[in-house]
Amino acid sequence: MAQTPSVLGTPRHRVDGKLKVTGIALYASDFKVDRLAHACLIQSTIASGTVIEIDQSEAERAPGVIAVLTRRNAPKLQALPEELSANGTPGESRLPFQDDQVYFQGQHLGAVIAETFEQAREAAALVRIRYQPGELRTDLLGLADQAIEPRMFGGRIKLQDKRGDVDWVWANMPQVRLVNETYSTPIENHNPIEPGAALAAWDENDHLTLHVSTRGVDLTQKVVASAFGLPIENVRIVCPFIGGHFGSKGFSWSYFLVAAAAARIANRPVRLVLSRPQMFDSMGQRARTVQTIGLAADENGKLAALKHSTLTHSSMIYEYTEPCGNLTRLMYACPNVQINHHLVHLNYTTPCPMRAPGEAAGTFALESAMDELAVKLNLDPLELRVRNYAEKDEFDQRAWSSKHLRECYDRGAAKFGWSSRNPKPGSTRDPEGRMVGWGMATAVYPANQQPAAAKAILSNDGSIVVRSATHEAGTGTYTAMTQFVADTLGVPMDRVQFELGDTQFPPAPVNGGSWLTASVAPAVVAACAALRDKLISLGVDGPSAPLSGQARNDIVIADGRISSAKDTSQSLSFSDLLAKTGNQTLEADGSAKPGDSYQKLAFFSFGAIFVEVKVDPDLGEVRVTRVVGVYDVGKILNPLLARSQLLGGITFGIGMALMEGTIPDMATGRMVNANLAEYHVPVFTDVPPDFGIEFLDVPDPNMAANGARGLGEIGIVGAPAAIANAVYHATGKRIRDLPITPDRLV
Amino acid sequence: MNNFAYVRPNDIDSALNLIRTRPKARFLAGGTNLLDLWKMGVEQPQTLIDISRLGLADIAPRPDGTGLRIGALARNSDVAEHSLVLSQYPVLSRALLAGASPQLRNAATVGGNLMQRTRCPYFYDPAFPSCNKRKPGSGCGALNGYNRIHAILGQSDQCIATNPSDMCVALAVLDAQVRVIGPGGERVIPIGEFHRLPGDHPELDSTLQPNELITAVDLPPMADTKHAVYLKVRDRSLYAFALVSVAAALAIENGSITSARIALGGVAHKPWREPEAEALIQGVSPDHAPFDRVADRLLQGAHAYRYNQYKLNLARKSVIRALSVAVASV
Repeated sequence: MAQTPSVLGTPRHRVDGKLKVTGIALYASDFKVDRLAHACLIQSTIASGTVIEIDQSEAERAPGVIAVLTRRNAPKLQALPEELSANGTPGESRLPFQDDQVYFQGQHLGAVIAETFEQAREAAALVRIRYQPGELRTDLLGLADQAIEPRMFGGRIKLQDKRGDVDWVWANMPQVRLVNETYSTPIENHNPIEPGAALAAWDENDHLTLHVSTRGVDLTQKVVASAFGLPIENVRIVCPFIGGHFGSKGFSWSYFLVAAAAARIANRPVRLVLSRPQMFDSMGQRARTVQTIGLAADENGKLAALKHSTLTHSSMIYEYTEPCGNLTRLMYACPNVQINHHLVHLNYTTPCPMRAPGEAAGTFALESAMDELAVKLNLDPLELRVRNYAEKDEFDQRAWSSKHLRECYDRGAAKFGWSSRNPKPGSTRDPEGRMVGWGMATAVYPANQQPAAAKAILSNDGSIVVRSATHEAGTGTYTAMTQFVADTLGVPMDRVQFELGDTQFPPAPVNGGSWLTASVAPAVVAACAALRDKLISLGVDGPSAPLSGQARNDIVIADGRISSAKDTSQSLSFSDLLAKTGNQTLEADGSAKPGDSYQKLAFFSFGAIFVEVKVDPDLGEVRVTRVVGVYDVGKILNPLLARSQLLGGITFGIGMALMEGTIPDMATGRMVNANLAEYHVPVFTDVPPDFGIEFLDVPDPNMAANGARGLGEIGIVGAPAAIANAVYHATGKRIRDLPITPDRLV
Repeated sequence: MNNFAYVRPNDIDSALNLIRTRPKARFLAGGTNLLDLWKMGVEQPQTLIDISRLGLADIAPRPDGTGLRIGALARNSDVAEHSLVLSQYPVLSRALLAGASPQLRNAATVGGNLMQRTRCPYFYDPAFPSCNKRKPGSGCGALNGYNRIHAILGQSDQCIATNPSDMCVALAVLDAQVRVIGPGGERVIPIGEFHRLPGDHPELDSTLQPNELITAVDLPPMADTKHAVYLKVRDRSLYAFALVSVAAALAIENGSITSARIALGGVAHKPWREPEAEALIQGVSPDHAPFDRVADRLLQGAHAYRYNQYKLNLARKSVIRALSVAVASV
């Protein structure tokens, strides 16, 4: 009989799209509970010092106030264990209410709980705090001499690393072309459309249900249970939808612990939603980076030495390092490479991963430097990259699992028309007199897999529910997993319901590192395959089985039916099978973890991005008018979603290149543009009318999810450098400090 | 946000009576600026007088049949799209459309836009300790702070904030007249006198007196509508405040510039005009007009700070560009 063609690899609209546009999808703050109270944070208005006194008398008398939560009456929170708080593990290990120290502006000192949000906010404004100001550390460059040398990023990646001997090459090869330039990226904030939000409800048995916008329900459960000293099963985290996170949600942040503490002292369910300004101090940010790149090459452009040194900052209470040198180790073939990171503790909020942490900021510097080297060598920038093509991961001396970057270069260049580029900067004007520039860069991003599990349940109506404690950040998890279920069990997608975002489901990793599909899909497939095996057993095992006598190998599972391949009259629907065998439901579990090849091979996604910019010669306004990006991210499971993801990532790249930046006031450590009117993210007119995004669609033979590698973050990698390089080509001005706003060009 | 009384009068007399008698009262029109400031704690009105029932939204020729009278409560979006505005005052339409976002323009009114407070982070966020505008005598956080968007003209040591309105820059070159009514009856304030320079009283953005209400903006007729330009330089292509903006309205007859009106936005506490600069090209052939000298005269006395040095050059180039585009328009 004819098999239904697989839905994997086909363009599919989001299965949750209608829920979202009709408002039916519930986000953390949307859930309804009885007796709900509202909390508003009390925050520090200094960046460094000690709280002398919190005068809450006026706030307590304000209309509608139920309680004021401060260190005085807060439940005693327990310090997080090492596994949740070690340096290098993203998040903020210092819990609220531990002491009277203030480490950054906006630090959570308490909350007002009231009948309405407005009452809570007004009362919070009536709280008077007296401080003893302390030494203020806001100047990254001024305090660079106090930098430490952090060791690891995320417990996995060395932050001080080298191969060969860079210094020897520098000292002994005078004929090489050197670029030794400093590049910088500002503090940036994630700014998802949905702010951080938590709804905490305790029951009489000391069980907490926390609806919270998090991309790590299991991690959040551990943090909350640990902080409140509860057995893990007493805490349930629910998050069916995330309105974007871009790195911000997940980890241990103070606000949802404050919400849970507020609910406890108020003895009411409490909702706490961060305001937009609070999104700039309460949920991480990308720290500022100042990066120096040194490149040495022979006259043919072959790299001889590469130095990448990063100065960045963390908060006073946590060590998190923006790992800018991550990719520098392996992007190009080069015998001598040195990576360093220096970290200064400053009175700013704790940084965390954001939109390709390290890779986005690091490739801006490296790929700008490569462009500068190409200019010095009088070599085409693309040709320089091809001459330094890395045939293996030279750092760990591993073969690539699958790398087709050359094809990305070739196809991208052809589609863009790169070969007609006049290398001379400032050589082209458009009919309106704007300077036209073309730039390119390489994009690379690690392809990881984490352990995950799932459960599949067939009901007697033939519908299938599959559950995993994974996340939907807007990227298409519901859709992609539904595709995998439909594919594995041979049912139409509309018979499948995928459920996620609940600690009662089988465990799944934090959503990050572009690993969601690669991690969760194999677990979903395993659960569905196990269910399939059970279906076949039900069908053929034993004398009374409906398909008794058929060999297992002759059974076909397709179109929601179990059938014999040899005798087409022997066929029944899943629901008939359950009915005939006396089953209401049939369940199966599955799990997956990285295979042995993960130790032996290097897994990365690749891409090449080409952009055209137009620059007003007098006014310095830059517009990106054309983008071509060709990506090697393994098998494409859903071309519509894949394109959307890359389109979003490149748009973030435009933002990073041209407009994004959070600006601290050096005298107070307070951010001056903590709002969406003055923290600029791209609007529609900032992106080109057409994105030329293409995928090679070559399955990675060693990736479990049908050869798909992650594509979550690779879109932002390379784009800022490609734009900066295009600005140089247009104007002859090399802008090494992002963002490239008009003031840098006039 | 503090508790407050809300009232919605049905006529102007009631509105004026309320503003005079109620403590810490504020008029509410579109609310796009007042509510922002209120939520931040910069404004804390005790009475909110919703003036949406007062009418005052007509857009029609003035009673004598010439020019245009725009009601104070006309929405920015309605003004921008109005046929008489588009045909007779295109620079106003362009300026309005260059400002804010469609959603904000749908809510914001002409009167409210005139009353928009100057934009400065040290003013908008009460957690900053120093702002003479918010807390007279507390100092200016921007003077030695982050002053990239701040003034280069007409500022004082008390305040270096800029007026963020695009509309007002266009009104400045249109020689608009602001009609107001108060306890003493009606009066008319020329647009150039409506906004103030900060001087020693940065807390006052305008010359509107307490208990006065803006009723309309009058525009005198324009002889030449072709050579009108609104140029806005900003950090992103839409929904961003001007780094520098220029409104220019030229009249050209028989190969000669018969009138030149030029206003700069984003550089001062108010839209910046300089009659002596405009006079430099009056009676001059547009082909040989010394736009660079106009720019230099406009910017005479300009003073920049650590982060807004670029404005000196950007403003100069913007003026030259706007005038070049204006004369080339046909």
